[in-house]
Amino acid sequence: MKPSILIVSGVLVVTGVASAIAHGGATGIVKDRMDAMSSMAKVMKSLTAVMRGDVAYDAEAVRGGANVIKSHAGESMTHLFPEGSGGGASEAKPEIWSDWQEFASLSDQLKVFASALGEAADKGLEQSGAGVGKPGLGTMMGQGGMMGSAPMMGNTSDMAGSGMLAKMPVQGLFNRVAQTCSACHTKFRIEKK
Amino acid sequence: MRQLLFGVAIALALAGAGFAGLYYWPIGTEAKLTVTKGDVQRGAYLARMSGCIACHTDADGGGQPLAGGLKLPTDFGTFYSPNLTTDPENGIGEWTVEQFAKAVRQGVSPDGKAYYPSFPYPFYGRFSDQDVADLWAAFQTVPPVAEPSRPHEMVPPFNVRAGLKVWRALFLQSGPHEPDPEKSEEWNRGKFIVEGPAHCGACHTPRNFMGARQANYSLQGADKLPGGGKSPPITSAALKQGGWTIRSLQYALQTGIMPDGDVLGGSMGEVVRDGTAFLSDADRKAIAMYLLE
Repeated sequence: MKPSILIVSGVLVVTGVASAIAHGGATGIVKDRMDAMSSMAKVMKSLTAVMRGDVAYDAEAVRGGANVIKSHAGESMTHLFPEGSGGGASEAKPEIWSDWQEFASLSDQLKVFASALGEAADKGLEQSGAGVGKPGLGTMMGQGGMMGSAPMMGNTSDMAGSGMLAKMPVQGLFNRVAQTCSACHTKFRIEKK
Repeated sequence: MRQLLFGVAIALALAGAGFAGLYYWPIGTEAKLTVTKGDVQRGAYLARMSGCIACHTDADGGGQPLAGGLKLPTDFGTFYSPNLTTDPENGIGEWTVEQFAKAVRQGVSPDGKAYYPSFPYPFYGRFSDQDVADLWAAFQTVPPVAEPSRPHEMVPPFNVRAGLKVWRALFLQSGPHEPDPEKSEEWNRGKFIVEGPAHCGACHTPRNFMGARQANYSLQGADKLPGGGKSPPITSAALKQGGWTIRSLQYALQTGIMPDGDVLGGSMGEVVRDGTAFLSDADRKAIAMYLLE
């Protein structure tokens, strides 16, 4: 077992304890999914430091983190949201069940991006900063002045084939993972803070 | 009895006169621009920063860019963003740049009517003439969409648009960008963005019972946002207490990732996705610097 895997595992244990406190009041499946979310938050936090170059790049840590997210994405995620499990301590919006298809599709997207991130881990960080996958000025304008076409609005291309994803740099994929988290929270999480 | 009737008659007469006066009460000042030549690229960037595209596009409903129709439910009624494309009938294709300037900076329509403050024109008052000319140039590139703007569905008495003139007289605070000479250029750029185009206070400053922002509580967070959400305080003290730094805030505005690894959701998720993610690193840093320092 590589040291970084140990770190990730250790982190998960600590996270479990921390989230048990943070999510006081939640029990059963609601607590289970909050714990899963906290595990992913912990990964996002530690990988943020890697992506920003605050700590030395560690491909193994990136792969491990991506695997943690992948393991909580897709059906692992949707199984934790059975119909009628909202309300109370839960931060789940009822829209999850009225728009289940969208919720499930975002869960799947998370899995796709997390997998791609894991596979790209060995590439290391893109130094140039180009093609990091953040939308730039060009994306906004397209060719026709203000509007351009779809890139500004939607993300229909998010599910682009894995071939395209494989070409994306690590930071770009990491940002896609974060954008997917954010898109889902925007639609489906009650902001209690 | 006679006195009472007389009193009622006077009251009614006064109300009538007041209402007529309200109707004809002119608002806004003439907009003359010192510059008329705008830069499309700069204008498009400013439009992105200002949320024009995000609010005037019903993306989820399959609407065309800037064709309006996005629903904004509030306590005062339901707003629908209007069509801002170049369509002459339904959009702003027939407007002049002066009319555009007056609409954006003063909140007054070409026919002299007041806009509801759901349109954050009090913030856009910070725009310079050059900013307005740039925006105008960018809006000229928007393809026309022949889609009528959907009328707002206001709860009475807020459906009486003339009442907004009173609202303006009581609450409207706007004006040009005023840089602080003591502070750096970067900080002042952040001030302009936060107080102007990015209109952070629209959600992060609490509003009074008439929907006006309470200047004394600037950026201290608010509840009852359209749709029922809450916004946290983003004052320097609150951000510092929350563990934010310029670096982490700048990064959150780019990616949505917060210092604890959680990711911004709610309407701020949309703000990042449709707005701040598109800004330059320098501008995101300027925003963070202004908010924190």
